[in-house]
Amino acid sequence: MTLKDKYAIVGIGYTPQGTVSDRTTLDFHLEACADAIADVGLKREDIDGLVCYRYFPPAPGEGDVTPYLVAQHLGLEPAYLAQDAN
Amino acid sequence: MSQVLSRMAGDDAVFGHFGAAAGYALAARRAMHEYNTGPDTWKHIAVGQRKWANLNPRAVMYDRPMTESDYERSPWIVEPFRLADNCLVTDGGRAFILTTAERARDLPHPVVTIMGLGMHNPAADPVAARHLTGPTGARRAGEQAFHMAGITLEDVDACEIYDCFTYTVEITLQDYGFFGPGEGEEWFRGGTIEPGGRTPVNTSGGLLSEAYQMGLTPLTEGVMQLMGRCGDHQLGPATGNIKPEIILCSDNGGILQTHSCCILRRN
Repeated sequence: MTLKDKYAIVGIGYTPQGTVSDRTTLDFHLEACADAIADVGLKREDIDGLVCYRYFPPAPGEGDVTPYLVAQHLGLEPAYLAQDAN
Repeated sequence: MSQVLSRMAGDDAVFGHFGAAAGYALAARRAMHEYNTGPDTWKHIAVGQRKWANLNPRAVMYDRPMTESDYERSPWIVEPFRLADNCLVTDGGRAFILTTAERARDLPHPVVTIMGLGMHNPAADPVAARHLTGPTGARRAGEQAFHMAGITLEDVDACEIYDCFTYTVEITLQDYGFFGPGEGEEWFRGGTIEPGGRTPVNTSGGLLSEAYQMGLTPLTEGVMQLMGRCGDHQLGPATGNIKPEIILCSDNGGILQTHSCCILRRN
């Protein structure tokens, strides 16, 4: 069995980027995810999994950003949560 | 891995050897010793990618053109790397939605599937590594991805390469087989990777000139190009390129210690 052409990337989420003041790490996670979901016209309940990309330590004064925290803030209830290592 | 990138141990810090820039500079310096490479190769990468960024309003360097003499006047960060050889440091986020190819046909955008995937992680500590001048993990990851996709390099219409430093682009394309060691200077010369070039590379401006969203800068740009959603930097007649069907994307981590290769196709 091959995975060739079995899966598709169907939407992209962006945020403002560059030097962007007064935003937190979590804030960017939420906007990027929400924008990606909106780009495909999906609903919250369509999201079955949430994988966060490379883990970096939080910025000074911020708490850890975990996939669970991102899901909670977005009102998602994914069955699968994962965090990539850096 | 974050410890690898930021720790200061023993005498390393005294000699300025800490962080990702120094690690990749060590690899690049060794490559200069082993074969023909250096700033004369890397300037084509920095300047070529900047031309793409100048077409992309989302790029941090959108309104900042760069000539070869700008590159040559750019200040040293860690020799042999100048500022222009280093990626940006960027606030921001990026995300994508993944689903089955079947489900994708009912969704609004053109279907872009994952045609090939490969991963190879030569995880030796950089000071003990023999792979920093190639073959890096890109060699075997690329072989796996091309095997799965059932295509060759000639089928690739554009590349979106993880470009933490200019040298990373050279060594990655070299290990994928686009050219042999030391042949990069000739391969890149003459606008190969620029708008209208024969092998467009990092068409958003990449990590060097669009924004540092880690491996999602290259991967999401590959998807958007295949969907035909890239505006003024959309590959096609306006840029003097063919409309792409297959795009090769890469990501790597640590000091060339992890590598993943993803071949995308417009269905």
